Amino acid sequence: MSDAATIKVTPAKKERPGPLDYMRRWPIQAWLVAVTIFLYAPLISLMVFSFNDSKRNVVWQGFTLKYYEKALTNASLIEAFSNSLVIALCSTILSVIVGAMAAIALWRFRFPGRTAFDAGMAIPIVVPEICMGVGMLVFFAKIFPWPQGLPWPLNLGAIIIAHVSFSFPFVAVVVRARLASFNRELEEAAKDLGASEWRTLMDVLVPHIQPSLIAGALLAFTLSLDDFVITFFTSGPDTVTFPVKIYSMVRFSVTPEVNAASTILIVVTVLLTFLALKFQGTSALTAGHGPEKK
Amino acid sequence: MTSSRTHASRRSLLQGLGAAAVGISFGGLSACSQGASSSGGEGNKLNFYNWDTYIGTNTLADFKKAAGIDVNMSIFATNDELFAKMKTGNSGFDVIVPSNDFVERLSQADLLLPLDHAKLPNLKNIDPAFLDVAYDQGRKWSAPYTWLVLGIGYRKSKMPAGFKPDSWKYLFDSDQFKGKIAVLSEAGDMIRLGAKYLGHSVNGLDQATIDKVTEMLIRQKPNIKAFHEDDGQDMLLAKDVDLVLEYNGDIAQAKAEDDDIDFIIPKEGSQLNSDNWCIPKDSARPENAHRFINYMMDAQASKHIFETILYPTTNAAAKALMPDSYKNNPIIFPSAEELARCEYAAFDAAKAQVYEDAMTKIKAA
Amino acid sequence: MEQSWRQAKGLFAALMSAPLVWLVFFFFVPLGIVWLYSFGENRGLIDIAFTGTWSNYAKALEPLYLGIFAKSLWVAALTTFLCVVIGFPVALAITFAPDKWKPWLLLLVMLPFWTNLLIRTYALIAVLRSEGYVNQTYRFLWEHASGLMTLIGLQPLGTFQPLELLYNNFAVVLGLVYVHLPFMILPLYSTLDRLDRSLLEASLDLGAGHIRTMFSIVIPLAGAGIASGVLITFIPALGAYLTPDLLGGTDSQMIANVIESQFKRANNWPFGAALCFILVYLTFIGIAIQGLLDSSAKKRGMA
Repeated sequence: MSDAATIKVTPAKKERPGPLDYMRRWPIQAWLVAVTIFLYAPLISLMVFSFNDSKRNVVWQGFTLKYYEKALTNASLIEAFSNSLVIALCSTILSVIVGAMAAIALWRFRFPGRTAFDAGMAIPIVVPEICMGVGMLVFFAKIFPWPQGLPWPLNLGAIIIAHVSFSFPFVAVVVRARLASFNRELEEAAKDLGASEWRTLMDVLVPHIQPSLIAGALLAFTLSLDDFVITFFTSGPDTVTFPVKIYSMVRFSVTPEVNAASTILIVVTVLLTFLALKFQGTSALTAGHGPEKK
Repeated sequence: MTSSRTHASRRSLLQGLGAAAVGISFGGLSACSQGASSSGGEGNKLNFYNWDTYIGTNTLADFKKAAGIDVNMSIFATNDELFAKMKTGNSGFDVIVPSNDFVERLSQADLLLPLDHAKLPNLKNIDPAFLDVAYDQGRKWSAPYTWLVLGIGYRKSKMPAGFKPDSWKYLFDSDQFKGKIAVLSEAGDMIRLGAKYLGHSVNGLDQATIDKVTEMLIRQKPNIKAFHEDDGQDMLLAKDVDLVLEYNGDIAQAKAEDDDIDFIIPKEGSQLNSDNWCIPKDSARPENAHRFINYMMDAQASKHIFETILYPTTNAAAKALMPDSYKNNPIIFPSAEELARCEYAAFDAAKAQVYEDAMTKIKAA
Repeated sequence: MEQSWRQAKGLFAALMSAPLVWLVFFFFVPLGIVWLYSFGENRGLIDIAFTGTWSNYAKALEPLYLGIFAKSLWVAALTTFLCVVIGFPVALAITFAPDKWKPWLLLLVMLPFWTNLLIRTYALIAVLRSEGYVNQTYRFLWEHASGLMTLIGLQPLGTFQPLELLYNNFAVVLGLVYVHLPFMILPLYSTLDRLDRSLLEASLDLGAGHIRTMFSIVIPLAGAGIASGVLITFIPALGAYLTPDLLGGTDSQMIANVIESQFKRANNWPFGAALCFILVYLTFIGIAIQGLLDSSAKKRGMA
């Protein structure tokens, strides 16, 4: 990464090695290496200890793969993880749809109560989790009881609803940032050419915001997959999720099995992301944040 | 309340659930249960809310074979979380495993179903000492499962020669082990044990005593390394500290890995703790729940559980079947005279807030 | 430029219906219950009566709790400051990296974020504890007394003593920085990436050094991005409870720990709700201040 030689060899498209090429300066390189060590040392220690032939995270006792075997054959862990994945997928899809709708409505229209709606969308981002967790607990117990004993995955409905509630505002924020760079004249042109409002939206606007939809989806997926507090309060008898399972496993003692499960997850995540980047082209991840290509 | 469970039990869990778990995750699509007939009208299902790795390797599968009931186990990490979920009702659980003070809290809040002893013949297997307890007289609401006692876990090689930390003083009121002490972060336990050190009972504390304990703990704070979240045995094993306030079951597991560790119940006495089987009032399957609890108290089934979880059992019949390494382990089963100095903490609705405020004050000081 | 909703009622209704219903029914209703609790009193063990009392807020404003609020604000502020200091050069490096590296560098920053928070925190404990990696490395370096530059930049202290890296406020701040760094780097990067590079080049051409260019051109121009990074780092740091619980020492309690114990062990939902909403009100004040900063930045034509 900090191999300066590569840059010279790489045929630079826009970046010429110049005064602003901070990546080539050693203080910045050293800084990046230090931050990388800081971010990754714990993860590497976790991975190393997943091969440790001891029950604790404390002293190295020898190499073993038995905890991988355990993690991979731990039916309740796998069940929890598949629950988490389904919840994250469903809530991501819903959050992206609802969040994009909100962002487009806020960007496109003047309407009474717009400021209030805008402020309201910020609240889920700022409310402490436990507060929302308790709110959801009471809500699903007293006001909107989610039927019990539904077949999987319908029994996950309450959790999915709660996850969408705290993720879609994040999606809306990301999508709005992208919409700010949209040239409204394109939309006008499409309409002049006889496209309906709906067609204009789907054929002109949505393709433009696609990168932010991907970024928003990544964010929503991450939030959903890692949530413990709110999930705990909305989960019922059949709905243990991965964080809830990990939480009760780890709270009293961290075992190599937890480390092994996490290592598998990290490796799977990395592989999936690499694949996604290869498929999408590398612009997908940066475009949500980056500037308009000129 | 408690504690680390061995990974052995974790493996067991998955083996125990085995094939059944696959069915569970698909919401009973595997309706092809091979067991005997189930109770009338309740179906062949049971929702069980348990601590993680707190059940025997094959217990749930064995129960399914014996009773034809599919047990769907969910897990909680603290009594508070359990209570919060019970509080709003409609939790969907049929059997829960609260600790003694929460049996009182839940029963006072009218959230439990009274147990029908006629359906629990295996209560005969329980050590009579655990049937007649202050927190549930006549065992109206709960059936005993495990019990624990708080004490001091310590690293022998770090003590002066021939020395045993046989008093709460070394944790609460002395700088002899400055920076090498970890105590519980649990407010009620800390204040009550502080009072015990000062010669009071753990129950019926007046405000003056609570204030005195608070002051003592504020004075002691510079000598304490951390208020741990019941992972004190890990801190002891990792040599982060030399003395921890912990449960005997946790220290027994730590000692199995590191023989330099030992456990002592201080001479002032200590606090007992017990986990119990209960049925929530709004359970939809009380019949199945009774059958399940009764099965859990069966001598053989119980022996199997305690072989896995290695906690002190309340089941005398099961204990008799256990190997010597378990039943004669002085950490798991302290002597009768040591236990005579210990008491259960009664639940006191008004005090919960007072203890919490005191602890907030101690941590903020 | 914006359309009035009257001009396309059908589309407007279609776009607004789902977000509005979702926000109101699945968010404001649950949150409203908790907000009402903050004006309620416990009746017995499970019932809460809405009495319209202010006593929960009065208690929340007692010096004990105000002190904890102040301490939490201070810890969150310090965390945020460190995140800016550590994250800014990283964001800068990513911004000016070749295009094809950017996604991978961003991924490098995001990846730890995709591991469960609790697992990451325990992994950090394993690194920091008295016989953890940092201390083992330190000991190795110390005992071999080699001329190697210490990777972690620590000075020898005489006879070997393990560093006390856990169970104190240092550990809490370190843990919070560890957890929240990506929150800071992403918005910083997203702002820096839009900067007009010709301004920087002009500054350098005119003879200003890199440091001077940073402070007088880049940082003022990136003001809004820094502000939004500050906000989305500061808010979660203020609400952190796991990190102080697991890494903290005897005096590391933060307000979220108190809130948690009120909701759980003390079974005092009304008081817990009041503490929560004080945090929410504080956040609103923070957002309002950021809004003011933003608009003043816009006035100067910089955003």
